[in-house]
Amino acid sequence: MTADMDAGTRRVYLVLLLAPLVLLAGLYLFPLSRVLWLSVTVPTPGFGNFERLLTSSAIHNVIWTTVRICVLTTTLALLIGYAIAYAALHLRGWRGELLLFFVLLSFWLSVLIRAFAWLTLLQSRGVINTWLMGAGIIDAPLPLIRNEFGVVLGMVHYMIPYAALPLYANMKGIDPRLVPAARGLGAGPVQAFLKVYLPMSLPGLISAGILTFIFSLGFYVTPALLGGGKTIMIAEYIAAQINDTLNWGLGSMLATALLLVIFALLAVMSLFVDLRKVFGVK
Amino acid sequence: MELAPSKPFRLTVFGAWLAILFLTLPFAVVFPVSVTPHRYLSLPDGQWSSRHYQTLVDDPSWILSIRDSLVVAGGSTLVAILLGTMTALACWRISSRTSEAVRMVMLAPMIVPSIVHALGFYQVWAQLGLLDSYPGLILAHAMKGTPYVVISVSAALANVDLRLEQAARNLGATATQALWKVIIPSARPGMLAGSVFAFALSWDELVVTLFITSRNVYTLPRKIWDGIQDNINPAIAAVASILIVLTVIAMVVRILLARRQARLAMAPTGP
Amino acid sequence: MSASIRLEHVTKSYGGYLAIDDVSLEIGAGQFVTLLGPSGSGKTTLLMTIAGFVRPTRGRVLAGERDITDEPPERREFGMVFQGYALFPNMTVAENLAFPLKLRGVPSAAIQQEVRRMLDVVHLPGLGGRYPRELSGGQQQRVALARALIFNPKVLLLDESLSALDKKLRAELQEELRDLHGRLGTTFVFVTHDQEEALSMSDEIVIVNRGRIVQRGAPKALYDRPDTRFVADFLGRANFIEGAATSLSDREVSYSAGGLSLRHGLPAAGAAPQPGQPVLLGLRPEKLRLASEAPGGQANAVPAEITLVTYEGADYHIRATTPLGSMQAIVASTGGGTSPARGDKVWLSWDQDAAVVLRDDR
Repeated sequence: MTADMDAGTRRVYLVLLLAPLVLLAGLYLFPLSRVLWLSVTVPTPGFGNFERLLTSSAIHNVIWTTVRICVLTTTLALLIGYAIAYAALHLRGWRGELLLFFVLLSFWLSVLIRAFAWLTLLQSRGVINTWLMGAGIIDAPLPLIRNEFGVVLGMVHYMIPYAALPLYANMKGIDPRLVPAARGLGAGPVQAFLKVYLPMSLPGLISAGILTFIFSLGFYVTPALLGGGKTIMIAEYIAAQINDTLNWGLGSMLATALLLVIFALLAVMSLFVDLRKVFGVK
Repeated sequence: MELAPSKPFRLTVFGAWLAILFLTLPFAVVFPVSVTPHRYLSLPDGQWSSRHYQTLVDDPSWILSIRDSLVVAGGSTLVAILLGTMTALACWRISSRTSEAVRMVMLAPMIVPSIVHALGFYQVWAQLGLLDSYPGLILAHAMKGTPYVVISVSAALANVDLRLEQAARNLGATATQALWKVIIPSARPGMLAGSVFAFALSWDELVVTLFITSRNVYTLPRKIWDGIQDNINPAIAAVASILIVLTVIAMVVRILLARRQARLAMAPTGP
Repeated sequence: MSASIRLEHVTKSYGGYLAIDDVSLEIGAGQFVTLLGPSGSGKTTLLMTIAGFVRPTRGRVLAGERDITDEPPERREFGMVFQGYALFPNMTVAENLAFPLKLRGVPSAAIQQEVRRMLDVVHLPGLGGRYPRELSGGQQQRVALARALIFNPKVLLLDESLSALDKKLRAELQEELRDLHGRLGTTFVFVTHDQEEALSMSDEIVIVNRGRIVQRGAPKALYDRPDTRFVADFLGRANFIEGAATSLSDREVSYSAGGLSLRHGLPAAGAAPQPGQPVLLGLRPEKLRLASEAPGGQANAVPAEITLVTYEGADYHIRATTPLGSMQAIVASTGGGTSPARGDKVWLSWDQDAAVVLRDDR
């Protein structure tokens, strides 16, 4: 059914639409555009900063570390998140709800507190090492942080809810009679899952995976604390360019590149799923 | 049709509980550490003390950072609610390709990594003189919180019939009156959910804060961060314990409220 | 208290699509008028134009003598019952009813009294404290009606208001609506796609198709004398006979169809088909008679073989193949004799003036 807007209504809703947009443009998009602008103007105009992407081995190192950690994090978070989501949906009664409760709790807890908790557990004089040495199992503390192991551990811990919750929402949309139907037709439980359930949940898996990957790419707090300056991901590297060496050109170039990669990933994602649905606006 | 749980399913469930253990174990360790009698991070060996909780009370810098966090999170939540609700309302009512595009643009701060817009905020805030000021941090956090309000209010409005506005107009309300008396009340649950997100986001935000504040505005995450950087002290464990407990309480309250609402919705229906 | 409504050459286009195509219509004060048409015909757009939610691309809307084309909906003082009711979910029933009165600055004591009175009128006393979601569909319908009437509107607009209810409740509310209309004397404009509802409730039916008014008139006049194939088909059931006129006298026209020679008695007024021209006639199934042998006399008759018999209590619905194509007939089941059966070879006959000449608007 159609309804026109009279002039008064149109005015009211145009203000509602445009006022936030103008503010966002001034206070968000403009600052963002400054970063893009700096990347091609500082220290000298041109694409000199971007050439560093190809030539600097330090940058290659950081990018390689970042991609490696992000792929590992995403894979593990998806795997674990899938199991949690599947169990939460298919367990009867309070058990499923309890699973979800813990996932949500972890989701709402501060990123700093998570990283701090891991530090407490993993550092050389931390709970695990103290306990292991006290029990005489090891003589010297195990290197659990200030390396990639610590970073991946902390990031997987952070990302599990981000993978599990969208997967759970996606699985809720799958007809629960499909697997019993497949079993009724003679498929074993594993076969029914692989042939029926997994393909149905694939779009959700892809979009949860890309989202987790995107969030991981720009991660700062966890790698900075658990990597301890040894394992450096791109966000920390960018921050170091600005804070330590005041190298705005390189920092903003890397920020721009990160942004472009993320938008490219979103574009890829939009081939599989409706982005508006992923972001809950439709 | 019901099938007995298969072996692979039981294995999955077992894995899920292991994962939950992994998720919660680190938090569980924070509590004993917070009551250690020592000055360094350690498990209490037989004795415990509340000295680190006492530190939080005695050392004014903790209280001040909590106050700063409350001011910033409160302020940015208000701004985010305003902007996000306006956008969601307009997109709900106008519903065209243009409004869809506007809504997607409004979601940008959710996707762009903090480190990227932190650089931008630093640059522009420096020119505007907003560095290390409450308005500066509030506005930056509000930008990050707005998308979450847009999403939750849009979700609440998705079930609102456009005809409600027509009904209000037909009964004598102007467009503005219809908005205030009928549509915004319907959007209220979404505004509430969105404000929880926006508040939590700002309460927890560190990266932008690190870039655009120094001494004047000193939020709790910043205080914790600095604490972890120079010497890890069990007072942080005490703060962490308190925050974990508060989060659990907030979640339980939310669940109970949701239950009550669900019960109300199923209240007696007429013949 | 009630107002007349006049649409003058109203056109509404969306892009290139004409939702309303040059409609002029007058609805007298105090009338119960139904806009009837299939979905997408433009009837709801017409109603929304009257309510002020759709602004005509061209033309004028008048209430009485006042031009209200540019008046916003809140100033028109027309009550409306929406499809799906559009009750405010955040308000109780009483608050819903009080809403229009509060906006008009009525003192709260008077509001309370009026709300109670109105709840009595719609047979919902004591339900003021409930929320809309706690009510059944029929109750919600009554609340919507009460809310639309509580501020004494000059006109009441009803959009597919009864469509969502089950059959029995619908009949009950139809009766209540007619009763209310009789008591209040307010102009009622009712939109529906349900032809039975239109026939049973209205003073006048306006048939709408493809954005135009096809025909208007009292229910019985429309049913007995449809102008076009569309009206005959949409309002009730009809057999269509396509033929060619062969000769014309002052009282009847002869025509051939399906290899048969038939005659049609001409009504007093109206243009007669000229010999050689094609003719289209509509014939209501209940006007057909069933006989086992060829009837003599003036009546038209065709041989037929029954293909389907449906027993419906008071009568049989019969489908039969004839030289004119497949035809349907409705005959009383109480007449005695043998009941018709599939495969029976029979004659279908009808009086010369039983059919109606139609304009083919297909």
